[in-house]
Amino acid sequence: MPSRWAKSPFPKGRYYFSGNEAAAEGAIAAGCRFYSGYPITPSSELMERMAVRLRKVGGIFIQMEDEIASICAVLGASWAGAKAMTATSGPGFSLMQEGIGYAAFTETPCVIVDVQRAGPCTGQATKVGSGDILQARYGSHGDYQVIALSPWSSQEMYDLTLRAFNLSEQYRVPVMVMADEAVGHLRETIEVAPRIEVWDRKKEKGAAPFDIEGQDSVPPMPSFGEGERLSVTGSTHDGYGFRKTDDPEIQARLVGRINRKILDHKRSIIETESHFMEEAEIAVIAYGFTARTGLFVVNRLRKEGKNVGMLRLKTLWPFPDEAVAEAGRKVKKIMVPEMNLGQVAGEVKKYVPCDVISLSQTNGEVIGPEKILETLKKI
Amino acid sequence: MIGIMQVRLSGFGGQGVVLAGLLLGQAGVFDGKYISGSNSYGAQARGSGCKSEVVFSDSPVDFPHLTTADILIAMSQGAYDIYCTDVREESGLILYDQAVVTPREGLTVKHIDLPVTEVSVRRLKSKQAANIVYLGALIESTRIVTTGSIRKAITMHVGERFRSLNLKALRAGMDLGRKVHG
Repeated sequence: MPSRWAKSPFPKGRYYFSGNEAAAEGAIAAGCRFYSGYPITPSSELMERMAVRLRKVGGIFIQMEDEIASICAVLGASWAGAKAMTATSGPGFSLMQEGIGYAAFTETPCVIVDVQRAGPCTGQATKVGSGDILQARYGSHGDYQVIALSPWSSQEMYDLTLRAFNLSEQYRVPVMVMADEAVGHLRETIEVAPRIEVWDRKKEKGAAPFDIEGQDSVPPMPSFGEGERLSVTGSTHDGYGFRKTDDPEIQARLVGRINRKILDHKRSIIETESHFMEEAEIAVIAYGFTARTGLFVVNRLRKEGKNVGMLRLKTLWPFPDEAVAEAGRKVKKIMVPEMNLGQVAGEVKKYVPCDVISLSQTNGEVIGPEKILETLKKI
Repeated sequence: MIGIMQVRLSGFGGQGVVLAGLLLGQAGVFDGKYISGSNSYGAQARGSGCKSEVVFSDSPVDFPHLTTADILIAMSQGAYDIYCTDVREESGLILYDQAVVTPREGLTVKHIDLPVTEVSVRRLKSKQAANIVYLGALIESTRIVTTGSIRKAITMHVGERFRSLNLKALRAGMDLGRKVHG
């Protein structure tokens, strides 16, 4: 597979970036050269930085009339050969769902950073929330897969945005960076490595762009202008992109493959992080900013000799079912703190035999240490 | 988790609280510290009560928001009233200006009164420089970041038009800090 080591476009060193700025730098490092978007709090700084950075590296930046146009322009740019992205928050993410479904079915690489705020609807524009997790997975119609990552720091806004591009190119799938307001606006020390691993999409002259016979994997992807015969459609299509809307076998084959190409590789896609899970009796399963609070509390309780551990989900979709199931076998109880009404807690419940306690908070504030501590002590 | 220091800068939106926090955090990064900074966002940052919080650490921090302030800079009475009781009892420090803030009676936390407004208006001919005067005084009395790093941070983040004013304000603040410290 075509991965290569490239020199980081940003000089090696330590920087003081907000999460949103760091995500923009991660995108540039990954080779993103096209951004189209519509500014929305709390993601706007990402767009602002892309406007400045793309000009410097010779990329293209367009402010579109809305988020529907933004995601569509991203998909067009991707088929023209660019690594392309957009960023938004909940209301814009809702508008983008149709385009995301189109990307999943046409296997168009693209990256969407969702800096989540308190919803539903316009909600609290400047306040934090994490209510878009299930939407990332199920927001568009039909059966499809996406990849969604969950950064917990400015450093990971850089690292995971870079990884999002790599995964997107590798699997020809929309990849979402499910950030939240607290991480997007958190300003932290971040380290930029001198060299980075970059994935580029696979090319093969004359090959079918929408199937590989006998394989549930990722076909090569030509771009318009390369001399290949290319037709891209959101209708059911055969390996060469011809519409086959009456053929049950082709429909079943295509839907099956775009799901299996992700699920069969979930072990190399999914990343989790364990903290003190070896002798834990109670586990906190957390992601995003809330995992920072979780770790703070677990560190504190460990010092008091309590057998508490934490499993952090760096990947949300495909869901880390194996890591969660393993945690569920070890501990007696699992607590899932999150800034929504139990979206990930519901997923956790599917894979563990033990009690799962959902700690929900949807008031536009981050979950503080006391709240987690209090709930754990009751358990 | 060794050596964590939490600083809260507070005042009205428009006093430069967010910029001062950015500069302080950037200087900490230049000094090799792990910094986590967060500040008021949205309408608050542009008029009413405004804060900027910077957590300094020698190792990566788990919870990145401020839990209890080691140092509070209160640039307005409103900010002082909200945050004065959330400063660490034994070792905490509150920097304020008597011309703007009347301290609460009965608080045991160490208070340092700095004539920041007077220095800004008289010596620097600009009220807008008060945030950086505070930074200078803070750095001189606590050595939380090095002088070289804060100067570098100002050069990096402040536009050319205001750079020399801010560097002057830093020096004036450091003079104040020295005087207070004896």
